[in-house]
Amino acid sequence: MQEQLSTTWLIVDFFVHCYRISGRLNVRQKKLADQLNDRTTAFLQLDDVYMSNIEHPAHITASYSNSILRKQNITAVVVAQQDEGLPREHTYGSYLGTYLRKVFITVPSFEIEGDLRLSGRLDLRAVLTTGTDAFVTILDGRMTSSAHPDIVFTGGAVLVNRDHIGSFWVEEEE
Amino acid sequence: MAKILVIDDNVDLLETIRQILALRGGHQVVVSAEGTDGLAKAVADPPDLAIVDVMMPGVSGYEICRQLRANPRTASVPIIVFTARGQPVDRQAAMDVGADDYMAKPVPMKELLERVNDLLAKRAAETAHVLAGMVVLLSLRGGVGVTTLAVNLAATLARARDEAACLVDLCPSSGHVALHLGLRPEPNWSDLVKIGVPDVEFVEALLLQHASGLRVLASPMLPVVGHGLPRTVVETTLRVLRRRFAAVVVDAPSVLDEAAMAALDAATVVGLVVTPDAPSIQTAVGTMRALGQWSDKFQIILNQITPGAKLPTEAIERALKRSLLGTIPFDPAQARALGHGAPLALHSSTSPLAQAVRGLVQET
Repeated sequence: MQEQLSTTWLIVDFFVHCYRISGRLNVRQKKLADQLNDRTTAFLQLDDVYMSNIEHPAHITASYSNSILRKQNITAVVVAQQDEGLPREHTYGSYLGTYLRKVFITVPSFEIEGDLRLSGRLDLRAVLTTGTDAFVTILDGRMTSSAHPDIVFTGGAVLVNRDHIGSFWVEEEE
Repeated sequence: MAKILVIDDNVDLLETIRQILALRGGHQVVVSAEGTDGLAKAVADPPDLAIVDVMMPGVSGYEICRQLRANPRTASVPIIVFTARGQPVDRQAAMDVGADDYMAKPVPMKELLERVNDLLAKRAAETAHVLAGMVVLLSLRGGVGVTTLAVNLAATLARARDEAACLVDLCPSSGHVALHLGLRPEPNWSDLVKIGVPDVEFVEALLLQHASGLRVLASPMLPVVGHGLPRTVVETTLRVLRRRFAAVVVDAPSVLDEAAMAALDAATVVGLVVTPDAPSIQTAVGTMRALGQWSDKFQIILNQITPGAKLPTEAIERALKRSLLGTIPFDPAQARALGHGAPLALHSSTSPLAQAVRGLVQET
């Protein structure tokens, strides 16, 4: 008997401008991070989409059975489980030799805190510019509304659009 | 076996839940894949518990919760909100519309079944007693001993059933609950007016601790000038307390202000306190007429606040068209108990008043 929801569909919170958009994403063929970072398509197809204004993020203002998001306009994505936010290549073995650093990021309307997984020497410029990935994964992320600090979103992973990052801070090592 | 209504637009999930609850839990399960249909099924034949998805086309789960709570037939049905939106703001939104529990998808079905059974057991324990859950004591005629009864009832519930109990004084004109318990009413609910809609931590921080274990939300010592507690604040506060405590006793104000109306909405049972005299009975008759929408919750408690017989019990029952739940006899020790801040239910368990209050909370 099925014990949990099928993993074919992932329910994700997207933050686009002033909206929180919750929807189902098909991740059977490709994981969320891989779809976001796939440069061959500029869009993301969602099913059963529910929209809220970020000022009232629990109040559903509209719902649609189908929706398409322009990836470059997505500021951040929050998923419940850490694994859901990692690219397929990040298997268990790939964690070897890596370490976590606490980071603080500002994007429009939000402040994001969490852990950044790194290998080798920390180079902030490289984090923001090197590679082709459009989204950087922050583990155990906490997104706080800049205007309403009582509005908080948490998740095992927060994927942040690098083009939307205003500032990126790293905590000193203890 | 309980009858459980599940409303979710995901038909695959609906079938999974149905199988788990029916085959493993032994429950009778009614399913609906559409909000309006689910609401109609709930009203036509109220279930023992409802599981409601939030994100559904048409009527959202939040709206279903609101409508279930607003309808007297379904107002007390326990509701579990089950949703893919799992953020703290979503949990708060579910609780604000009256959900009893909240679960974020995906949820292991074993855990869902455990939550269902826990909630059913909690509700069954409440309905085994006449005075249980959220008990609101009310009289629109002052001076009939509502506060004395509320204090002794809360203390008895806390002690007799070994339950976490809370006493709430909603009186806006220098309430006396704290005085009865020998407590200084600081902090009190006046801070709720300043903050607006409170969260769990804020409400918890306002509760006084009595040596008996009873927690108290006191009213301010100075009378409130102008508007008292807004309805939304009382609704949220009582919801928080109801979730935190097995028993909540509310000393309602003797006016039908916003706070009183919110308390009546939240009540499991409303104890209408009367004294054996014509003015009190006349007020009680008028109260029941004015508050007809809550008539199913009313229980009449006769409080003999003075010695000597006045109106006979039969005449009172005839006038009110109801049987009395119980009679609290005159107890000369009460005046001394108030002066010492030592309720009879805690400090003189053999007194007539303490025994009568214990009688009110006996299992039915």
